[in-house]
Amino acid sequence: MTILALDLPGPRRSPRQGLVPAFGLSPAGLMLVFFFALPMGMMIGTSFHDPSSGALSFQAYERFLNDGLTLKGFWRTAIMSCLVAVAATALAYPLAYFLARSKSRFRIIVFALALAPELAGVVLRTYGWLIILEDRGFINDIFLHWGLIDEPLRLSKNLFAVVVGLTHVVLPFAILSLTTSIQGIDENLERAAQMLGANRLSVIRMILVPLSVPGIVSALLLSFTMAASAYATPALLGGAGFKVLATMISEQVLFYVDWSFAAVMANALLVLMLVVSYAGLNFETRLRDRRGVKRGG
Amino acid sequence: MNRLISFSFWFSLVLVLAFITLPLLVVVAASLSPTADVTFRPSAWTLRWYQDLISQRWLAPFALSVKIAIAVSLISGIIGTLAAYIVAFERIPGGSAVMAALLSPLSVPQIVKGVAIVLFLSVLGLQPLLGTPSLIAAHCVLALPFVIRMAATAIANFDGNLDRAGQVLGASRWQRAQYILLPAIKPGVLSGMTFAFIISFNNIPLSVFLVRPGDTTLPITVINYLEYSLDPVLAAVNVASMIFILFVILAFEKFGGFSAQLHGGSK
Repeated sequence: MTILALDLPGPRRSPRQGLVPAFGLSPAGLMLVFFFALPMGMMIGTSFHDPSSGALSFQAYERFLNDGLTLKGFWRTAIMSCLVAVAATALAYPLAYFLARSKSRFRIIVFALALAPELAGVVLRTYGWLIILEDRGFINDIFLHWGLIDEPLRLSKNLFAVVVGLTHVVLPFAILSLTTSIQGIDENLERAAQMLGANRLSVIRMILVPLSVPGIVSALLLSFTMAASAYATPALLGGAGFKVLATMISEQVLFYVDWSFAAVMANALLVLMLVVSYAGLNFETRLRDRRGVKRGG
Repeated sequence: MNRLISFSFWFSLVLVLAFITLPLLVVVAASLSPTADVTFRPSAWTLRWYQDLISQRWLAPFALSVKIAIAVSLISGIIGTLAAYIVAFERIPGGSAVMAALLSPLSVPQIVKGVAIVLFLSVLGLQPLLGTPSLIAAHCVLALPFVIRMAATAIANFDGNLDRAGQVLGASRWQRAQYILLPAIKPGVLSGMTFAFIISFNNIPLSVFLVRPGDTTLPITVINYLEYSLDPVLAAVNVASMIFILFVILAFEKFGGFSAQLHGGSK
C-alpha cells in the first residue's frame, strides 16, 4: 500500500493550490475571529480602561481586590469547584471501574443510565434538584411526614445545593474520563496481586489507585473547570444567597451594565481556570516523569 | 474483608446510579402530578400540564430554539467540515497550530464568551444583531470545535488509498471529495451536527446575554420562569424537550450517524 503512495507525486504546490486551504478555512476562521477572538481581545482591553474617559487604568482591578463581596465570590467559586471536583471524582470511580471491567450484560444499561442526564440538559436536572431540595420539596416532605424534623431544613439556595447540582452535571464527564483511564490499566496486574495473596483492599490501595492517578487528576481538572464555569446551576440552586463568579458576571452585565467590572470578573474566572489546569497538568507530568525514572532505574 | 469491600462496591454503585437518576425521575413525576405542590405522595396522575404546553407562551420559544438549532447545526456542519478537511486532509503547513486555534474557544467558559460577544456588539453599535443573528453566530462558535474535532477524527480514520485510487482514475479534487471522502466521513460529520444541534438547543450561558426581551429561547424562558415558581408546567416543558432531543438524535441516526460510527466508521 505504501508503494502505491510512493509512486504518486506528493502534494503539488502550485499557486492555485494555495487558494483552496485559504478558501476552505476562511468561513470558520472569520466566524471565530469575529465572534470569539476580537470580542475576547476587546473584553480584556476593556478591563484595563477607565469606562468614562477611556484612558488606561487599573481601577476596575483595584475595585475587584478591595471589594469584599466580589473577592468572596471568587473564593466561593474556587471552594465550590474543589468540592464538586472531589465529589464527582469519588462518585464516578466505582461506576467507572464497573464500566471498564464488567463483562455483564448490565454494563450497557449502566452506561446508558450514567450518560442519560447529559441528554436531559442542565435545566431539567437543576429543576429536579430544586424540587428535591426546596423548603417544601421532596426531602423535607418525607422528613416532615415521618416526623424526623419539625421545621423544613434549608437545603437550597446555599453551597450544599449548588455542589449537589453541579456534581450531578459534571458526573458523566468524570465517569467517561475515569473509565478510559481504568481500561488502560492491565487487568492482569490485579489478578497477579490477588493470586499472590493480596486482599481486595490492598489491590485497590496498591495497584488500582496508584495506576489510575493520571485519570483521577484529569477527572478532577475537568470537573473543576466545568464547575467553575457553570452558570445555570449556581444561578438557580444558589440564587441570591450563594453568588459565584459566573452569576456575578451576568449580574454586572444585565443589571448594572458595568462592562469593565464584568470584564475584570471574567478575567478572574479565566485566570482561576488557567492556574488550576496548569497546576494539574504540571503535577501529572511530574508524576509521569518520576514513574519513568523509577522504571528505568 | 473481601466480602465487605465487595459489598460496599456494589452498594456505592447502586447509590451513585440512584443519585444520577433521581432528579430525572422526580421531574417526570412532577410533570404528571395534579397539584402545583410537588410532593412524594401523588394521589392521581394527570396530563393536564402537557395540554398547557400547546400555547403561544411555550410554542413560540420552542419554535425559536428549533430554528436557531437547525441553523447552527447546518452552518457549523458545513464550515466545520470544510475547515477539518483543509487541516486534516490537505495537511497544510502549521496544521496543528491551526487546529489548536480552531479548538481554542473550548478553553474559555461560555459565560465569558457571552460577555465578550455582547460587549463587542455594543461597542461597535451592532445591537440590532442581538436576537436571532447573534444567537446563531454565538452558538456556532460553541459548536464549531466539536464539529471540527469529530470531522477531523473521521478524516484521520479515512483510508487515503481510496482517494489516491480516485486520483489515479482521473477524478478531480471536487469529485473525490464528493464521491469518496464525504460518504466515508458522513457518520462523523452527522454526529458533530447532532452535537451542534443539542448544544444550541440547550444553551443558557450565551443565550442569556443575546436574547431579545419577549423573544427568548426555550431554556431562557424556562429559567426566567423558574426564578419565580416551580410550576409543574415547567416539568412538562422539560420532559417534552428531552423527548424532542431524543427524536432529534434518532433522526440524525436515521441518516447514518452514531451507530454507523460505532460499527466501524468509514469501513
